[in-house]
Amino acid sequence: MLEGGAAALLLFAAIVANGVGMAWVALSMDVHWQQVQGTAPSRGAVRRLRVLGALGLACGLAACLRVDHASMAVLVWIMALSAAALVVTCTLTWRPGWLKALAWLAGCEARP
Amino acid sequence: MPRTFTIDTSGSPRLHIAARVGAAVLGGYGFAWGINAVTMALLSAAGLEFHDAEFLGNLLGVLAFLVVFLWTFAARRLWRVWAVLTSGGALLAGTGSWVQSWLV
Amino acid sequence: MFQSFRQAMAWLHTWFGLVLGFVLMAAFFFGALSVFDREIDRWAIPETRIAPQPMPSYEKLLRPAFERMQPTPLAIDAMRPRVDGPMPAHFDTVDSWSAYTTHRDPVLALYAGYQVPHAKDAEERIWAYATIDPRDGRLLPDEQLKIGSGFFFPLHYGLTLDWKNLGIWIVGFSALMMLAALVSGVIMHRKLFREFFTFRPGKAPLRSVLDLHNLTGVVALPFHFFFALTGLLIFASTYYFPLGETQLHGLHERHEQAEARETGLPHARADVSAGLANVDAMVAEAQRRWHEHGKAGEVGFLVLQHVGDANGYVSVYRAGTDRIALVGDGIHFKASTGAVIHEDPPATPVARVSEFLTGLHLQHFRHWLLRWLYVLGGLTGAACIATGFIFFVEKRKKQHAKTGNQGSRVVDALAVTTVTGMLIATLTLLIVNRLLPERLPAAWASRGDLEVYLFWAGWALAMAHAFVRSAPVAQERANPAWYEQCRTVSAMALAAVLLNWITTGDHLIKTVFTHPYWPVAGVDLFLLASAALATVAAHRLKARLGADQLAQSTEAGHA
Repeated sequence: MLEGGAAALLLFAAIVANGVGMAWVALSMDVHWQQVQGTAPSRGAVRRLRVLGALGLACGLAACLRVDHASMAVLVWIMALSAAALVVTCTLTWRPGWLKALAWLAGCEARP
Repeated sequence: MPRTFTIDTSGSPRLHIAARVGAAVLGGYGFAWGINAVTMALLSAAGLEFHDAEFLGNLLGVLAFLVVFLWTFAARRLWRVWAVLTSGGALLAGTGSWVQSWLV
Repeated sequence: MFQSFRQAMAWLHTWFGLVLGFVLMAAFFFGALSVFDREIDRWAIPETRIAPQPMPSYEKLLRPAFERMQPTPLAIDAMRPRVDGPMPAHFDTVDSWSAYTTHRDPVLALYAGYQVPHAKDAEERIWAYATIDPRDGRLLPDEQLKIGSGFFFPLHYGLTLDWKNLGIWIVGFSALMMLAALVSGVIMHRKLFREFFTFRPGKAPLRSVLDLHNLTGVVALPFHFFFALTGLLIFASTYYFPLGETQLHGLHERHEQAEARETGLPHARADVSAGLANVDAMVAEAQRRWHEHGKAGEVGFLVLQHVGDANGYVSVYRAGTDRIALVGDGIHFKASTGAVIHEDPPATPVARVSEFLTGLHLQHFRHWLLRWLYVLGGLTGAACIATGFIFFVEKRKKQHAKTGNQGSRVVDALAVTTVTGMLIATLTLLIVNRLLPERLPAAWASRGDLEVYLFWAGWALAMAHAFVRSAPVAQERANPAWYEQCRTVSAMALAAVLLNWITTGDHLIKTVFTHPYWPVAGVDLFLLASAALATVAAHRLKARLGADQLAQSTEAGHA
């Protein structure tokens, strides 16, 4: 169990990991990839984004577990997932271009 | 293949809806009570601590209420719903009391 | 009646959602506020704006405070009919003294229960309550309304309808319908995963409202499901399925007797007077034992049972701040000697599940991020229900306009009442709390009662306004009350922040920077954020209202 600044930092990391993971999961869906990149995603990109998305969410859970008692960590993680999904949806609605950076980070670029 | 539901609509639809809502709310509650009672009694008989049995009874009772509530609206024949919920509820509750009489 | 299973579920979802959605909206919204009930209490009762305190020393502080307590004349009058003969001038036989605090409470709640001589029921107890400042034992005024823990919190589970616990039953049935609506909603939703991240505000209102309804319902689905379920479970054994008190009373009785034998904690007085060992030493011993098991050591609840009697015992319970499960880990001492009689055994697996489920709803833990995420979850639930109402109206508005049906007009006005009207009622309460003088004329209702009456009056006024302005809905246009009430909300939220500054001197620069006090700063910041959001909403609604009117006039021109 951690306290104070270290705990706050790790919780922040958990929120970021959940957000990035959720965004990758969203990008692995045809319609949202289309929204961001304007083209259809390749089969490889979809698989890659799904794996990375799952990894991001898993990192989020790991960070939560590092900070709190397991029963509390799981709740923090699930609630943070809801928040991440809301943020990703809002980004896709109003600023889809921002997610290009995350697609690039995952090594998945739009096909010409 | 979606099943086609032919629900007996003899009488006014308003009355039918009232009968269905009544079955869901009152019949559902009675049935949930029965599930609750029988779970508590049987688990107590199995040696579980009273409040543990009570919690599991409550949990199953609430979930059973939810399931039969949905079923009442999906079921084809309303009379069968009424029959299952009332007789089932009474039977379950009766079993609960019977088990208790053995224990206490 | 229904052609298919899906249609049956849609009927259930629509009509039960419509009728009970109004209750659920209040449960979700005031539940979300209750997450910060103690902080709202601080905002509403300025004299208690002090830092949270641990349980104070019994010997130095609690004993004198307990000894000063006596039931109020009101409580004595209420007891009179249950007693044969006159009431004593002073209640001397203390059945129990207890003190309760949480990690967020700067004030300490004290409870004293006394035996009642010549009572018709030998088990009869008369109670006295007090709130003290745990730093010096000073008695704090207890007649002020604790808006958060004393009003919003009970409102969210019982609507403050206390008659025969009617409110608790209504909210309980609504929670069951929340579960039914979630299940039927998932069945109706054809593209749950495909449209998980989808919101299309540019599309037709019907589509975009449905997007929002699905989004707010689906992303927080675990929250909605578990809060409705655990809310039901918390009250199930006491109110909804009181089997232990009724049908299975025998089993309950058997358990109580076995427990009394096992724990060795006497149920009644021995009627032999005895002294009291040092209670602070007992508390220290309890903390030492918790520490050995790696648990946080703050005391949440301290109980002295059968005070002054040879059968007396002292129970020390832990404040469960470090985990979700609501556990006391109680340690019980013999009052006269201070020896440990009994230590609560570790919970059984089933009890652990039960403590986790109730604990996740009741939130005794210390975790500010999770608290805010809960607020977000609650507000998402409220948004889901509100968009459900709007979808209902949007879907039927055109048809109803053609046939002259007033249905969508009424539902729309009720939606205004439960969305912006509820905010107006809440803000009315906060504003009158800051405006009413400390002491009211004796003939008036108490200050707290008056605040509550004005809360309902504010809500009723908002409802009247929503209905008065609702005529355009019957002609397929928007109700201007949405826009007007959004404006009112933003003005009232600003006014509440300003009034807090004027009446207490606590402005945000002070509460955030120079003398940080987050409970008050948090409420003020939340109010400012609400004001900003309401302003944006009002702006958007005004633009839509303008477009509506333009379309109407061109239509009229063409005709």
